[in-house]
Amino acid sequence: MRRADQITGVIVLIFSLAVIEGARRMPPSGTFGPGAGFLPFWLGAALAILSIVLLVNASREPAQASDRSPFPRGGPVLAILEAVGGLAAFILLLETLGFLLSIALLTAFLLRVVEREPWLTSVIVAVANAAGLYVIFQMLLGVSLPKNFFGF
Amino acid sequence: MEIFHNILMGFGVALSWQNLLFCLIGTIYGTLIGVLPGIGPVVGVSILIPVTFGLNATTAIITMAGVYYGAMYGGSTTSILINVPGESASVVTCLDGYALAKKGRAAPALAMAALASFFAATLAVVLLTFIAPPLANLALSFGPPEYFALAFMGLTLVTSLAGESMVKGLMSGIFGLIVSCVGVDAVSGEERFTFGFLSLLDGAGFVSVAVGLFAVSEVLCNLEESMEQVFIKVKFSLRSLFPNLQDWKDSFWPIIRSSFMAFFLGNLPGAGATIASFLAYGMEKKLSKHPEKFGTGVMEGVAAPEAANNAAAGGSMVPLLALGIPSSGTSAVLLGALLVHGLRPGPLLFQSSPEFVWGLIASMYIANIMLLILNLPLVGLWASLLRVPYKILMPLIVTISAVGVFTTDNNIFDMWVMFVFGIIGYLMRKLKFPAAPVVLALVLGPMVERTLRQSLTISHGSVFIFFTRPISAVLVVIALASLFAPLLRGVMDWRKKVVEIS
Repeated sequence: MRRADQITGVIVLIFSLAVIEGARRMPPSGTFGPGAGFLPFWLGAALAILSIVLLVNASREPAQASDRSPFPRGGPVLAILEAVGGLAAFILLLETLGFLLSIALLTAFLLRVVEREPWLTSVIVAVANAAGLYVIFQMLLGVSLPKNFFGF
Repeated sequence: MEIFHNILMGFGVALSWQNLLFCLIGTIYGTLIGVLPGIGPVVGVSILIPVTFGLNATTAIITMAGVYYGAMYGGSTTSILINVPGESASVVTCLDGYALAKKGRAAPALAMAALASFFAATLAVVLLTFIAPPLANLALSFGPPEYFALAFMGLTLVTSLAGESMVKGLMSGIFGLIVSCVGVDAVSGEERFTFGFLSLLDGAGFVSVAVGLFAVSEVLCNLEESMEQVFIKVKFSLRSLFPNLQDWKDSFWPIIRSSFMAFFLGNLPGAGATIASFLAYGMEKKLSKHPEKFGTGVMEGVAAPEAANNAAAGGSMVPLLALGIPSSGTSAVLLGALLVHGLRPGPLLFQSSPEFVWGLIASMYIANIMLLILNLPLVGLWASLLRVPYKILMPLIVTISAVGVFTTDNNIFDMWVMFVFGIIGYLMRKLKFPAAPVVLALVLGPMVERTLRQSLTISHGSVFIFFTRPISAVLVVIALASLFAPLLRGVMDWRKKVVEIS
């Protein structure tokens, strides 16, 4: 965790400085009392101090050869990237493909590509899932779900 | 007695067929959430917020409270049968529960878990019925400084107790507060951190953030681990199901002690069901005549933590309803749900929406009876559900989350917020930052800011206003003590080291 905490500390420090800068640009209160930037400024300051504490604490720990990254390597990374990519594609295409098609595609993708389930299982679960969610949200809860060019 | 009048009115609300039906749905769904490893009550309730959006507020919250309780009941099933906790509050149940199952006593252990849960949860609702109204009355006299102090204390206690490192807990909490600043400032009307996105004017959206942080990140984390399960086969017959006389003797006092202890622990911000179950187990081991047998399959090792997690779940409803301050991750999500439905929990809620408050409390009595029936005779059914592989479940969680988030506002943008917070949540888990403080801070953020600015306006900018009023002074001192206690301990350790070296 040593190296990971150091990197996190630096990233959070940059983030908190950005928050402080953003808060400083907010106009002061027009009347009296604290303005819009008051709380964000102090939150940014506190976060900056904490990230420095994290950085210092991590750096004081003795460096160990066994200091491994908390993140996985190899196969799992691919699975996570695929899942994240699939979800992003789903959000992008939802309004174009329509609800039923995009849900079925996302489910099938997650099962077949990410989890390497057999084709048959993937297709059956995908169709059942899309139909089930359609019944719950559109028919029982009365939500109007996105439709594609062909009206489904 | 006014309370009896109120609780009768509450039953009038809770016993309507619609509320009964949704209470049943909530408890079934909650037991399912509890039984299935990998998804806990926080995920279960966050997914449900958008789904229940179209219902009236009382019915929606009754459903979600049922999920919370159901998860506490169901969590023990997996702990006992496959040595995998169904949710974090059932981790300790594994120790003796699985050992009992290996000895062939899974059925009585499951039954004892259900009965202990029932006793504890019912006791908690009874205590809630009598404690919450006077607390709410007291809180009516609170001004902005008291509310700020209360929220401040809740935040510091939760963040300093969550996770392994207090620095990381505090960083999570502050991050949540920063996220809560996004949108139009309620006091000045100024836009903050919106980066030109119209959809961010109302803030980042509680549901999207919570579902992303809990549900999506959970799925991503689980993709790395293969969920291998060793399933212990149990024969369920009514005869074998009931614990014998010795089991009762062993478990009777542990259940009662753990229930009371956990209820009051649950009242405090920061100490959720998980901590309560650990403490109950530890307490019973200390008090036991045969502490060495703990871990080898003793009945009280199942009864005590299962009673404790239910009592703590009930206990956490007291500050939530009476003060509007959630005490754990799940109750923070419940508070978010209340806000989504336009209800602001706190002392005024008892006056402005009595039918909601008392309907909810009455529904908890009913939910417990439903859960006892669901978990005692039907426990075999739930056990067989464990055969559904997680691989099938994962896409269902992802799609329900995404669609649910979309339907809160019919807005694609909310799904992107969920997406981003899913990745943030994944990174946080991997780097050992607790996620609960973020959600708690996000829910409490607007109130913290409003009361802080109001207080400072009253006092013309002096922070001493928080120390000159007795109630806020006590709360702020507790909060500061919780922040600086580890620091003092650090100084002490350091001094000891210096002494040792010299």
